[in-house]
Amino acid sequence: MNETGVVLTDIRKNFGSLEVIHGIDLRIAEGSFVVFVGPSGCGKSTLLRMIAGLEEVTDGEIEIKGRNVTDLDPSDRGIAMVFQSYALYPHMSVRENLAFGLKMARTETAEIDARVKAASAILKIDHLLDRRPGQLSGGQRQRVAIGRAIVRKPDVFLFDEPLSNLDAELRVSMRIEIARLHRELGNTMIYVTHDQTEAMTLADKIVVLRDGRIEQAGTPREVYENPANIFVAGFIGSPRMNLLDAVWLGNGRVRVAGSEMSVPVAGEGLQSREKVSFGARPEHLFVTDGGEGCIPAKVDFAEYLGGTQYLYCQLADGQPLIAEYRSGPEINAGSTIALSVDNNQRRLFAADGRRLT
Amino acid sequence: MNRSSMSLSRQRRARKAFRAESAYHATGLAIALFFLAPFAITLLASFRHGTEARLPPLPPWPANGISFDSYRSLDTFGAGVWQHTFNSLLVSLATVALTVAVSVLAGYGFSRYRFPLKNVLFVLIIATLMIPFQSILTPLFIILARLGLNNSLFGLTLVYVTLQLPFSVFMMRNAFDAVPKEIEEAARIDGARDLKLLFRVLMPLVLPGIATVAIFAFLNAWNEFLAALVLLSSNEKYTLPVLMMAVRAGRLGAVNWGAVQAGVAVMTLPCLVVFLLLQRYYMRGLMAGAVK
Repeated sequence: MNETGVVLTDIRKNFGSLEVIHGIDLRIAEGSFVVFVGPSGCGKSTLLRMIAGLEEVTDGEIEIKGRNVTDLDPSDRGIAMVFQSYALYPHMSVRENLAFGLKMARTETAEIDARVKAASAILKIDHLLDRRPGQLSGGQRQRVAIGRAIVRKPDVFLFDEPLSNLDAELRVSMRIEIARLHRELGNTMIYVTHDQTEAMTLADKIVVLRDGRIEQAGTPREVYENPANIFVAGFIGSPRMNLLDAVWLGNGRVRVAGSEMSVPVAGEGLQSREKVSFGARPEHLFVTDGGEGCIPAKVDFAEYLGGTQYLYCQLADGQPLIAEYRSGPEINAGSTIALSVDNNQRRLFAADGRRLT
Repeated sequence: MNRSSMSLSRQRRARKAFRAESAYHATGLAIALFFLAPFAITLLASFRHGTEARLPPLPPWPANGISFDSYRSLDTFGAGVWQHTFNSLLVSLATVALTVAVSVLAGYGFSRYRFPLKNVLFVLIIATLMIPFQSILTPLFIILARLGLNNSLFGLTLVYVTLQLPFSVFMMRNAFDAVPKEIEEAARIDGARDLKLLFRVLMPLVLPGIATVAIFAFLNAWNEFLAALVLLSSNEKYTLPVLMMAVRAGRLGAVNWGAVQAGVAVMTLPCLVVFLLLQRYYMRGLMAGAVK
């Protein structure tokens, strides 16, 4: 995990005169599982395709295992890619689909057979080898697509939203499968998704992108618990972090929706009465009997999910807020409650979005 | 009572369904007969005796036994029916081969490569469809003469290919456009480039388009008359349509209708064969399982 697998240096991409990737620097440790997340149009797929060599790099350098691959052909980069739409060759059997890349590389037949056999055993598709992609289910097709990547024995696996076309149940099992695969093969994997759960569960490192820039890169825990800015705070987590308009009162105190409370923030450079955003995740809000630092709220709607319950509330000044409620007397829509926020989980963001510490 | 009324209504429903089904098949049969009748009448009439051929065409089948008189007399026109059939086949198959080769490469290029003035060029190619072919016959004749290709089957083939290309390039570009980009990208990652990519991966996926282009090229080249008449000048080079004109014109004012029927039969057969051979590639669903 120490050696560097993939290094991106000041990567830029222009489509015509429009710059969509604005100088990205990123080091990906060998053998790690990195997930690119971000809203649609943030450039995560473009970045992945540039690493794959399917999209030209306007400026900057890409290194894979210490080798500069910026201008190399996709097939010479030591990568394999799994597409969202599987992109299997419809006129070939599963076996031919798996073997195609090796045939192109003029691998010996015995070696091809051995690798196809090994890959199909790992993915449990041995019984499907003589079928055509048209005769397979969605999950089976995705396995074949992953198999096609495995037989190439690449240095880096690239996944472009590989599970988005599957139904919810299959997505969960394939997610576990991919995690298992990473553990068994130990290759570097780069994975693009907009699915929070996939990102959190699979990644060693999450890279949050917005408008062609990295907003934050870190472990899932870092990104979730210590978001670098208000965008990451709002983007990671489901339901999202509550971000409330607040006023800085000085001395580590803020006023939120009419209630005063302390925050674990020094607030250097903040003027008194300056507008800030107060952030708290739904699971860090507690229903209490009231008291110092509590925020009164009216419950608009209560969502019962079995193990937990989400309360969609409205504060005194009209701001919406979501609180998680695990146990206690039943709370119905229309009732008024008082919420307190876990002392250590109170976050503060400046007006320009940066996290205040 | 109740049960009998139920079975009665079931019977009525069955009868109604049977009637609807019969009407459906009868209509289909009638339409099929309507389309098949000309072929059948021509084929049957071509097997009538020479003396019978000049009589009114009813009944349309040979009344005095089957005879090959008409085919024999067809062979007495021009350089013999075999020579002209060979000419026609040669020109048509060469047209198919050249048209497919050029239009596949051009369609691939227009669909997948970026180059300056791509769309202008494409519109220009399509725009040539608007020029009536007859209006450029004289210039074509002069160009071929300059190239030393007048009165040559190769020259005629080149003209047919030229006429066939705009439609074919358009057709093939659409066929390549319909192939998902991811398949091509997956193949590029697998190490297939340019021509290998085209032949190993993309070609099988655009077969329906190629079949369409081939059918049209063959039929148009096979049936073309005016250019063949104008550009060819020696007897043994004429294609079948030109021969048919001579047969139809008759000798000394007498038209040999038997020979005409035989000629029509000879001309129709290859078209049917080509269509029946290639029509299964029309079928869709080859793309199933590629994406999604």
